[in-house]
Amino acid sequence: MNGRKSFGAKKGGRAGAGAQSKDGQRRPMFRRRKVCKFCSDKIDDINYKDSKLLLPFVPERAKILPRRISGTCALHQRKLRVALMRARQLALIPYTAE
Amino acid sequence: MTRKYELVYVVSPEASDDQVADLHNQVEAIVQRIGGAIERTDNWGRRRLAYEIGRHKEGTYVLEVINGTGELMKEIDRRIKVTDLIIRHLVVRVDETEAVIARTKAARTKTSQRRRVARGLPADRLPGEGQRGDADDDRDDRFDMGNERGGMDR
Repeated sequence: MNGRKSFGAKKGGRAGAGAQSKDGQRRPMFRRRKVCKFCSDKIDDINYKDSKLLLPFVPERAKILPRRISGTCALHQRKLRVALMRARQLALIPYTAE
Repeated sequence: MTRKYELVYVVSPEASDDQVADLHNQVEAIVQRIGGAIERTDNWGRRRLAYEIGRHKEGTYVLEVINGTGELMKEIDRRIKVTDLIIRHLVVRVDETEAVIARTKAARTKTSQRRRVARGLPADRLPGEGQRGDADDDRDDRFDMGNERGGMDR
């Protein structure tokens, strides 16, 4: 099944990035593979009204969480961005945290 | 060309329930005058705003799903803009996105049915079947950062 966890290398050739510890010794880095939430949960509709769904993607500073961190796929990140911007307009989600 | 739109407007917290109902009636009147139909109205009630609008910290949200033309929505938009009681509004066309969502859903069920039949299972999932068991585990795969989300409650 593709939903299973696989430890070790992240996709691509970036395994071992940051695996070096202070004394220069290599330690195996365990990093969970990131999965797109919307793909794995089969959420088709990223709706601006659903602030519960959107809020995990706006951390403290209220900026949109980048794909690099959230693991969202490109298609869903685009849809998410539109939904977030609409939600912001309606003051469901903040533009910024003061 | 009739299309489906969603209109959400935020009414100032000072407005009474009657005034909110009156605004809805105004929208309805425009819809009827120009030609169209309100499919659904949903009052979300009073909610905290994520940021201050003017000096307001709260607002009453109302959602209207309207079938109509672009001209109708233009007129509604114009009227809402001059209404002081409405502090924020948004008009979104939804028919196309809804069609896309329905299509992807249909495609998904179709492939799953095809695969299940190929494996010799009944086409539809039986109650209690499926891998929901380890779903909980999969679910926290998402964040690598380990930082807690502050979100709205600052």
